[in-house]
Amino acid sequence: MKSRRALLIALAFLLPNLIGFLVFTFGPILYSLWISLTDWALTRQNDFNEEPVNFIGVENYQRLLVGDESVLFWDYFWNTVFLMLGIPIGIAGSLVLAMMLSTRTTPRRLSRRISLSTLILVVTILASFGTWVVTNPGPRPTDSAEVLSSEEGLGTLTEWQVDRMRSNGTVLLVATLGGMAFMGIAAGSVFFRTVYYLPSLLAGVAMYLLWKALFRPRGGLINAMLGPPLEWLQSAVESTPPWLWYALGITIAGIAALLCLSMVLTGVRKLASGESGITAFVGRLGVVVTLLATGAGLGYTTVQLPAQALLPNGVSNLTADDIASVVLEMGGEAGVSGELLASLAGQIQPDVTPEDAIAQLAPAVTLDTESRLREVVYSRTSATKIGYTAGEGLSPPEWLISSRWAKTAIVIMGVWLGIGGSNMLLYLAGLSNIPPELYEAAAIDGASGWSRFINVTWPQLAPTTFFIVIMSTIGGLQGGFEQAMVMTEGKADTITLTYYLYNVAFEDEFQLGLASAIAWIMFAMIFVMTALNFRVGSQMVND
Amino acid sequence: MGNANTSPGRREGPLLIAGRIALFVVALVVGLSFFVPFMWQVLMSISEVADVDLLTKTVTPPEANWENYPRVFNHEQIEFGRYFFNSFFVAGWVTIIQVITCSMAAYAFSRLQWPGRDKVFLGYLGTLMVPGVVLMVPTYAIVRYMGMFNDYTGLIIPVSFTAYGTFLLRQFMLTIPTSLDEAASIDGAGHWRIYSQIILPLARPGIIVMAIFAFLFNYNAFFWPLIIVKDENLRTLPIGLLAFNTSYGQETPLIMAASLMAMIPPVIIFLVLQKYLVKGIQLGAVKG
Amino acid sequence: MAEVKLDHVRKVYDGTVVAVEDFHLTIKDGEFVVLVGPSGCGKSTTLRMVAGLEEISDGTISIGDRVVNDVLPKDRDIAMVFQNYALYPHMTVYKNMAFGLMLRKLPRDQIHTRVEQTAAMLGIEHLLKRRPKALSGGQRQRVALGRAIVREPKVFLFDEPLSNLDAKLRVTTRTEIKNLHQRLKTTTIYVTHDQEEAMTLGDRIVVMSEGKVQQVDTPLNIYRRPANRFVAAFLGSPPMNFIQGKLEESEGGLHFMDGQYIDLTLPGEMASRVASHKGKAVTLGFRPTAMSETAEGKFAGPGNSLTLQTSVVEPLGERIDVSCTSSTGGHLVARIEARDDFPVGDRVTFHLDMSHVHLFADGEFGPNLVHPSA
Ligand SMILES: Nc1ncnc2c1ncn2[C@@H]1O[C@H](COP(=O)(O)OP(=O)(O)OP(=O)(O)O)[C@@H](O)[C@H]1O
Ligand SMILES: [Mg+2]
Repeated sequence: MKSRRALLIALAFLLPNLIGFLVFTFGPILYSLWISLTDWALTRQNDFNEEPVNFIGVENYQRLLVGDESVLFWDYFWNTVFLMLGIPIGIAGSLVLAMMLSTRTTPRRLSRRISLSTLILVVTILASFGTWVVTNPGPRPTDSAEVLSSEEGLGTLTEWQVDRMRSNGTVLLVATLGGMAFMGIAAGSVFFRTVYYLPSLLAGVAMYLLWKALFRPRGGLINAMLGPPLEWLQSAVESTPPWLWYALGITIAGIAALLCLSMVLTGVRKLASGESGITAFVGRLGVVVTLLATGAGLGYTTVQLPAQALLPNGVSNLTADDIASVVLEMGGEAGVSGELLASLAGQIQPDVTPEDAIAQLAPAVTLDTESRLREVVYSRTSATKIGYTAGEGLSPPEWLISSRWAKTAIVIMGVWLGIGGSNMLLYLAGLSNIPPELYEAAAIDGASGWSRFINVTWPQLAPTTFFIVIMSTIGGLQGGFEQAMVMTEGKADTITLTYYLYNVAFEDEFQLGLASAIAWIMFAMIFVMTALNFRVGSQMVND
Repeated sequence: MGNANTSPGRREGPLLIAGRIALFVVALVVGLSFFVPFMWQVLMSISEVADVDLLTKTVTPPEANWENYPRVFNHEQIEFGRYFFNSFFVAGWVTIIQVITCSMAAYAFSRLQWPGRDKVFLGYLGTLMVPGVVLMVPTYAIVRYMGMFNDYTGLIIPVSFTAYGTFLLRQFMLTIPTSLDEAASIDGAGHWRIYSQIILPLARPGIIVMAIFAFLFNYNAFFWPLIIVKDENLRTLPIGLLAFNTSYGQETPLIMAASLMAMIPPVIIFLVLQKYLVKGIQLGAVKG
Repeated sequence: MAEVKLDHVRKVYDGTVVAVEDFHLTIKDGEFVVLVGPSGCGKSTTLRMVAGLEEISDGTISIGDRVVNDVLPKDRDIAMVFQNYALYPHMTVYKNMAFGLMLRKLPRDQIHTRVEQTAAMLGIEHLLKRRPKALSGGQRQRVALGRAIVREPKVFLFDEPLSNLDAKLRVTTRTEIKNLHQRLKTTTIYVTHDQEEAMTLGDRIVVMSEGKVQQVDTPLNIYRRPANRFVAAFLGSPPMNFIQGKLEESEGGLHFMDGQYIDLTLPGEMASRVASHKGKAVTLGFRPTAMSETAEGKFAGPGNSLTLQTSVVEPLGERIDVSCTSSTGGHLVARIEARDDFPVGDRVTFHLDMSHVHLFADGEFGPNLVHPSA
């Protein structure tokens, strides 16, 4: 038989992959469904003992959705959703970056590019050298023993050393900026594309460790950069009456709301009159939502400013005894011996701020205990402001430590990582596929700027956006595990569904049944979201 | 906005040039914001523990202290070099197996006519929609049954047979004209030869893309190695880094040196193979 | 060198699409046979069955004395030139040509000499180190030819090898292929949809339509004595003129009448051949060259004139093509002696060479009544 032969040949090629596929992809999917209907937990029924696995129907699902696990499940679900808030921002950012990169910024002629980049190189070298000459503190003075005041934390260094470090730093920054400008001119958008793309390529434990360092409340780059603007804001708030800020906040939120209202009304009118399609409307809605969120957030923050900035900071209504009791309580949880606890609690001096108390304990406890301690203390501190530096008013957040900011920190990092990643590349490809005649036609019709974007770019990119949104939601719903594991170890309310699954299946009790049910609920959610995306998306794409 | 290309002949007005300069500056600033964290990483990695926090005030440390790099490797308990080896070993094998098995399967799906082909392929396609977390628990159980738990085989084998790679290569192979195989079969080539001497070389760009992604993905893989490896000697880099961080969380410079080194191989791969990677992603073929 | 025999070959795709129906032909050793026909008529399918690239649904194909139905293409000892050339893009020209020889485990030096010789014969020695991408369309075509020739196969198969070339190159390459064949004397099956190519190249032409062979004969025989109306219409440029009408007897002779103004008297011998169709609907066919303005020589004689409304004149040099409309609205072309003052737009009377007129039974495939096939 001919077809028999064909089948045999095909199998010879297919089999290596097919077997693996059946055993490690197709089989597990069915197996997982079955596991999710059992009470299988490795601590009870593992390879070593014979206790049978019981079929328990949908009990696992029930426990998760409405039963004893539901509080955790939904808490973690909302955490996951919170992390996904970064997705639309990231996608919008990818689009902006792609449009930026697809616009020609460097001269077209090679000779001009070469001369311009050479010029920049020369300027950079000169500027770096000049900076060095100006800032360089000269040779180390012989009487360099004079130690700086320890206020700035530079206690062990001499003034000369600090000057030299600052000088080196300035030169480094100047050279970096110049070097990038040089590369940007010489290699054009390819250079920028590479620089934007690299973070997403490196997303992983190493990257999260870097960001954990950047997010350190003290000594971290991010808070160092937030410091000056916050200081400025602090002094501004101090020198103006609070009602001004209330008024300003309400005005901002009000203007945003009015703008949104009018945009929605215009959108509805245009949609009803058939002047623009559903694509433009959805795009408009996206803008409205973003605007509304930004306006509300900005307004709320502004209203809050006086309360935050003017309250004396660091005053807690916790006494030393309170903190000591927290230490005892937590130590008990962590399994520290009672003796040690008592001595720890005894170390807390009366009349200290919580931060100082924790700092006193820090050498004696693990980092883990310290941050959990801090978390508990803060959650019991009734002072309205966050922050810890005594008497400084508005202060940068304790990013990964406070439950209030940890998820935001992960979102910020996620946007930074993903904004220049494959989404940007997809948008670049999409943009280059838009026939230039469309822009020409639009230009002849008198469209420019925004209307060209709304009428040409956005609809033409609809399939790309559609693909990106689907992929991002699928990824987003499964995400957050690695970040939380590395950056917060699951503390500060950062546990997502995948992390939850990990905890259930691979820590403590190894409840494979329950974990599989989590996975299938996630699958169902992904399925529903994808289906929704398809409904909206196919309408947009076909528009 | 958009591809506002001016026609080449026209002289550009000062307004346009100003706009372009502004755009370039924006691109530069954005680029800087992507670059500075890495620079900071380097600076932190060459600082003393006591000096890391100074960097926000002085940018550079008092003295460049390169000691941290050898220190990462010369540790009594944590064999960082071993993690490196493990990651390369695992990602390398996975890549090799994937390239071979997926390309062969893709050949069967794209070049051969056989009964049931489209049904089997549909089965492959269907699994692409299933999220990865669904597979974790059952695969873990299967791996334990098969005795591959806490073993290189457990790290390598279960992730080496992706439907995704097969799908990707099939799509790529479909773009190769069938008349080439026909010409080869008339020239006297059998299926194996057509596969190895005609289709494989021609599918090279697709295979490279797949290989890069397989390697990078498995180099960075976290969840699976985390649950499948208990032995310290089997830890891959991400797991090792995490352990490293747990033991040395206080020593930021050391951690930065370790994580920086872990980032180097992907960067090199990217810079060398950038052309293929960007193409591969832009074909829309690769998971976003 | 071998004879190729297709014995009642049939090809059905997916159990429903009949691509080739009852193809029966013996191609003699060294013969150059051209398969020609409109798009989708099954030419490629037939060729690919000979090559072994398609399964044969029914019938047998033999090359030499061997039935090859179940023989793999690589074992049939044939070579094929594809329409898109199918050169291996990742190999140099040299490797492209040597690939088949290497697979046949020829010694290295022998491969080398054969490739060099073939390349010299085709004038592509200087291209041997290049990749196909770096070649022009014509050069690629030559390499594809070379790859087939170098193998010294029993049979050459060509599937529209010239259709990707520009008009001029097509003509020169055509001549070259003919020369090559005369030199190599290898049995050749050549597929084209271009009737001019078929006429110039083939020792014999196979005209196909809708999967069926319509006629097999030498080019001139097919031209002069098309077996049916389809073949008549397909071969020849400009195509044959057709007029629908009836055969009627009057004034002692057989006449062709379209029921309006046209009334042609059939010459005696022709009349006796078609007598049995008296009173039936038939189609009259004549080539544009069988028309003349003057009634001289072979255009003389009674009952051979035809008055038509002229519309457009296309000068060709020695001759002109005149587009005309018959009284029943049919479109006709006359190819006549050139003259400057042709009265375009007038009604003009033409004379037919009645010895070169055909009569077909009704229908698209109506058989030739004047030259019935054996
Ligand atoms: N793989 C296939 N499956 C189904 N039908 C097919 C297949 N290949 C060809 N056919 C059909 O068989 C008929 C003959 O096709 P063939 O390719 O032989 O035509 P052709 O004469 O070579 O035409 P062309 O001049 O356009 O190349 C066509 O109707 C075509 O649609
Ligand atoms: Mg054809």
